[in-house]
Amino acid sequence: MKKFTKYKFILFAILALNIVLVATHEGEFWPFSIFPMFSQAGNPWSRGVLERVENNNDSTIWNTKTLSDIRRRAVSLDSIGVDAIDYANFVAKTEDWNQKRIAGLRDLLNINEYPDARWMATRVSGYLTEEDSVVVEAVPLLLFTRDTTYKNPKIFQDK
Amino acid sequence: MNSLLQNLFEFKRPDSIGVKLYLRLFELFSVCYTLIYAWDWGFYILRISDVVLPLGLANYIDVEIFFGNSLPLISAGLISGLAVVAFFSRRYKWLYILIFLLLHLQYVTRFSLGEIPHSSNLIGFSILGLGLAFCFINNRWKALSFAYGFLVFFVGLSYTSASISKLVASGISWVDGNHLWLWIAEKSTDVLSAEGSYTLTWVQELALQSRLIATIILIIGLVTEICAFLFWWKRLRPYITLLLIGMHIGIYYSMNIWFMSYLIELSIIGFPWYKLFNYLDEKYNLQNRNNLLKYL
Repeated sequence: MKKFTKYKFILFAILALNIVLVATHEGEFWPFSIFPMFSQAGNPWSRGVLERVENNNDSTIWNTKTLSDIRRRAVSLDSIGVDAIDYANFVAKTEDWNQKRIAGLRDLLNINEYPDARWMATRVSGYLTEEDSVVVEAVPLLLFTRDTTYKNPKIFQDK
Repeated sequence: MNSLLQNLFEFKRPDSIGVKLYLRLFELFSVCYTLIYAWDWGFYILRISDVVLPLGLANYIDVEIFFGNSLPLISAGLISGLAVVAFFSRRYKWLYILIFLLLHLQYVTRFSLGEIPHSSNLIGFSILGLGLAFCFINNRWKALSFAYGFLVFFVGLSYTSASISKLVASGISWVDGNHLWLWIAEKSTDVLSAEGSYTLTWVQELALQSRLIATIILIIGLVTEICAFLFWWKRLRPYITLLLIGMHIGIYYSMNIWFMSYLIELSIIGFPWYKLFNYLDEKYNLQNRNNLLKYL
């Protein structure tokens, strides 16, 4: 099968490259991947929901809530042209909410195009209890207004 | 090994109109989806201003140069121009390798916000396969056969790799139904975030009613992924394709995740459409009547 020699060489060279690249880049080097999606079964997760704030004076505004509590206040990210997974990753993976990161989220949401909107970036987390039931909690992080971003004082106490 | 290579790269009657039409259809699909992704990602990059998670070449190149200007659209335009030239010319098909590099840059820039989607990976493998093929193999039809086999190889490897990732990360308890409950809650949150509301699908309701049913759903998914390497063998390919398509439909109803480009690509490369084209050619004499070969 001499005719396949070249084919075999290219295929195995790329396979070797694939292995090296995913091994040195945490499993991802597009299009190479170990395809780890949903491999971590049972692990807690964090996503993001953009809430519409209807009453700024509400004293419970910064409280942790259930998903049902915020369900009817969710802003459709599709309707404002934002990828929900991008938003979720931005909200869930950011640990240091510095000015650059906050500005980045305002840019992603195009806040300037909605000057009258009062939106809240909420981190939603889910986990399994010892009794194997699912608990979902919604933690408000940031409140966006026309020109200011307020941080949840219950979380960012030192700021 | 040679049997596997034969299964990947060799067609019966390689000079037939059916095989040529089939390979060009595969090439056309790859080019079309490359254009879709290039422009889709290009327009989305315009609203990004920060790198949250660098991927691929973004670990070595500062992709922030693509932010705040029209470079992403220029890149999409360049990819489009090169793709059209590569598809229609016979001399410049090696341009696919350049298109692959530009598309990689477009991907790592677009997905610098933390999301690592896999919906475009098969298109990536297609364009990489086409690029390598036309760089190293002179005969156009042999190069296309190689690109096709290259993609078939990575399709089988990808799905099986996904199942190995699951077993390594979570062990056999991965299939426990309560894990599906947790993912349903996660994906429901994603749908709520994207659409502003959500309702459970009938599969989700069924899974949430019974841990056993949820476990069975996960077992079916895992077994399908484990068997995906059988896609490398021609005779088994259509059956594995049906299983994989069924799995993707199941993923859509249980997790609200839809892989459109995967489904179309699997439908093209997973079934021996060239046999149908050859049959039509023999029956209606397409080749002589329409001089089809001239246009391929």
